[in-house]
Amino acid sequence: MGFVLNFGWSGTITEVTLGATKADGGTRRLSYRIGGGKTLPFLEKTPGTSAPLIAFEICDNPQYWSPIVRDYCGDVINNSGEWAHAADTVYGADLVRLYLTSTRQRDFSDIASVGKTVETVLSRTSLPLIIEGSNEPKIDSEVFLKCGESGQGERMLLGTAEAARYRSIAAAAMAYNHSVIAQSPIDVNLAKQLNILLKEIGLARDHIIIDPYTGSLGYGFEYSYSAMERIRFSALKGDADLAMPIICSPVDTLTVKEVREAEPAIQDDIAVQWEFTTGLAAATAGAEIICVRHPRTIPLLRKAFGSLNSGNMAGKGA
Amino acid sequence: MALKALDIYKLLPKKNCKECGDPTCLTFAMKLAGGKADVELCPYLDEAAKSVLGATTRPPIRLVRLGIGERSFAIGEEVVLYRHEKTFYHQPGILFKIADTISPDEISAITTRVRDEFFTRVGADLRFNGIAIENASGSVDQFARAVEMVEKVADLPLVLMSADPTAMAAALTHCGTYRPLIHTATSENRKEFCTLAKQHGCPLVVRAKTIDELAQLTRDCTADGVQDLLLDLSPESLEAFIVRSTAVRQLAITRAAPDLGYPVFLDAAVMDLQDAGIVMGIAKYASVIVTSPLSPVASKTALTLRQNIYTDPQKPIQMNPGLYRVGNPGKDAPVLMTVNFSLTFFTLQGYLESTRLPCFMLIVDTEGLSVLTAVAAGKLSEMLVKDSIKKFAVEDEVSHRKLIIPGYASPLSGRIEEATGWKVMVGPRDAAEIGEYLHEEWKK
Repeated sequence: MGFVLNFGWSGTITEVTLGATKADGGTRRLSYRIGGGKTLPFLEKTPGTSAPLIAFEICDNPQYWSPIVRDYCGDVINNSGEWAHAADTVYGADLVRLYLTSTRQRDFSDIASVGKTVETVLSRTSLPLIIEGSNEPKIDSEVFLKCGESGQGERMLLGTAEAARYRSIAAAAMAYNHSVIAQSPIDVNLAKQLNILLKEIGLARDHIIIDPYTGSLGYGFEYSYSAMERIRFSALKGDADLAMPIICSPVDTLTVKEVREAEPAIQDDIAVQWEFTTGLAAATAGAEIICVRHPRTIPLLRKAFGSLNSGNMAGKGA
Repeated sequence: MALKALDIYKLLPKKNCKECGDPTCLTFAMKLAGGKADVELCPYLDEAAKSVLGATTRPPIRLVRLGIGERSFAIGEEVVLYRHEKTFYHQPGILFKIADTISPDEISAITTRVRDEFFTRVGADLRFNGIAIENASGSVDQFARAVEMVEKVADLPLVLMSADPTAMAAALTHCGTYRPLIHTATSENRKEFCTLAKQHGCPLVVRAKTIDELAQLTRDCTADGVQDLLLDLSPESLEAFIVRSTAVRQLAITRAAPDLGYPVFLDAAVMDLQDAGIVMGIAKYASVIVTSPLSPVASKTALTLRQNIYTDPQKPIQMNPGLYRVGNPGKDAPVLMTVNFSLTFFTLQGYLESTRLPCFMLIVDTEGLSVLTAVAAGKLSEMLVKDSIKKFAVEDEVSHRKLIIPGYASPLSGRIEEATGWKVMVGPRDAAEIGEYLHEEWKK
């Protein structure tokens, strides 16, 4: 008899390109095209649909990083180039996400060092990059322009634009052809509003990734989960202002009480389990880039995504 | 197609006899229209009206109860694909699977653990729900003995897992009156299993690889008089599970395939990636999840995710900013400032209530951001605190000028003191420590 499953979707997630190979004017060994979905996550039967990408998060001043990750990764964390290299060759990430935490120091003004860090990381890994700029509006403009310039031609993803501060990052992205992470606080309407703001100043839709903000498992994740589902739902219903791929960074999981106060002997296991559970659940809700900070989370997510794309493993590198 | 409440009302006796439990026929009609009541509750309906109403008003996914007594649980009666469209009503039971080949001591230890273990999170006790016993030995006696052993230790909901009708019959002699779930009927053994399910009044799982075959099985089972059914989608990968489970849910709630209107059963223990299978089951519509006994590490994430996905998303994420009272605070009661993210509010409120020290909560408008995010994003500032103290007339409520701020807001403490003239006390980062903090710091 055969049941026909019809959700009545009419929209498509906009495709966004991350990274540029030599052929596209960059130096990356591969690039990714994410988005393109026409139905719910993992229900896609179109060949070439990719699994969610796994980004490993590093930083250039580890004093701001979780002690769990610092202890696990060891000395490599003091050299962002080597850490990026490890993320690529040892941990097996798809993307490297560099947080310029050095800019968080009081009265930071060494903008040139930011450019040098980005260049070093680009030279030590040939994976596409995500760069997180400053947290301080006063230096935003200089930091983002320097990042954009240092990665010119590499089709990077720059973060993070918010409703109150998106101009400098968008300007840097447009000047050097990078994409932008647009973050809103767990609210589908605010996500849409920010996308419209970015559109109005000239950023193309295929240069935006939505970050609805990921609350940790047990501490607000249910809201993030629904925000992601609603964004995907609206996109499939035809709302082009929400039809961008979603990024999820469950970084809060490393600071929740259950992880922070765990017995040292099993603290890594617990950190990984919380990061993994949050990331995988977010992927079922529609996130297409899952960021992690613990190296051991990567193979777990990789296996799960493999089993979720068992029929069509194509499309990893575009 | 679904009928409207008024159309249904026309078919009801309009006696307002209250025998269905509702005050009027109209309120009963409204419940029927929403799929929240069973047409059988009305004793005065004729068969013709019943057949018209039955198909369109019964819940699109059947409510099934497992076990009896305190730990029994209900599943099914779900109405949406996305939790934000309404909510998910009945959280999946998670049961630990044991083989009948393990020692009596191990059986006893695992059963005791499920009976006694719980975690408390956000005011709720989270527990695993029961035991699934698998006839791994192939022996009828051994299966029955294992079931008997579990029964001796605890009155927990059970899943009996065997394809052998003789073994199943033997196990049911020990626990058949306690509504265990019988797993599993396939096209091969359906007749015998339906007879057993009917004889003992137990819910039954049917298993097939395709949803067409599942629909055929449920039709055959209901024709044989077994109504309480679950569907085992027999997934060979996570992808197979999510694809079939989503299809079953969508076809059931839209009433496109009433034969699929039953809760879904998932055996995560036979999947290559059990932890991922559990996540998938919780997020994507499984109602009974069977897993090997989980480590303490995996236990907490599974139970926490289930709690998250099954909370009611209709509750707002933001609280209205303002001055909230815990107990009956007087002029000398402490004032604790925090953000208007509802989870922060409820977490802190919960811990404050348990300290039994009356106090004020000054909730400032960070647009629903958590403390950490609000500080990082500059949403929580000394000016916001100053304005909030003024706006909510905090200075009229208390005689002191001391403000307790969250630990994660400590970078702002100096600036808040300067802007408000209040003495700022930096509280703990974690709300769980607020009781101890108030005890030690406030009393000074």
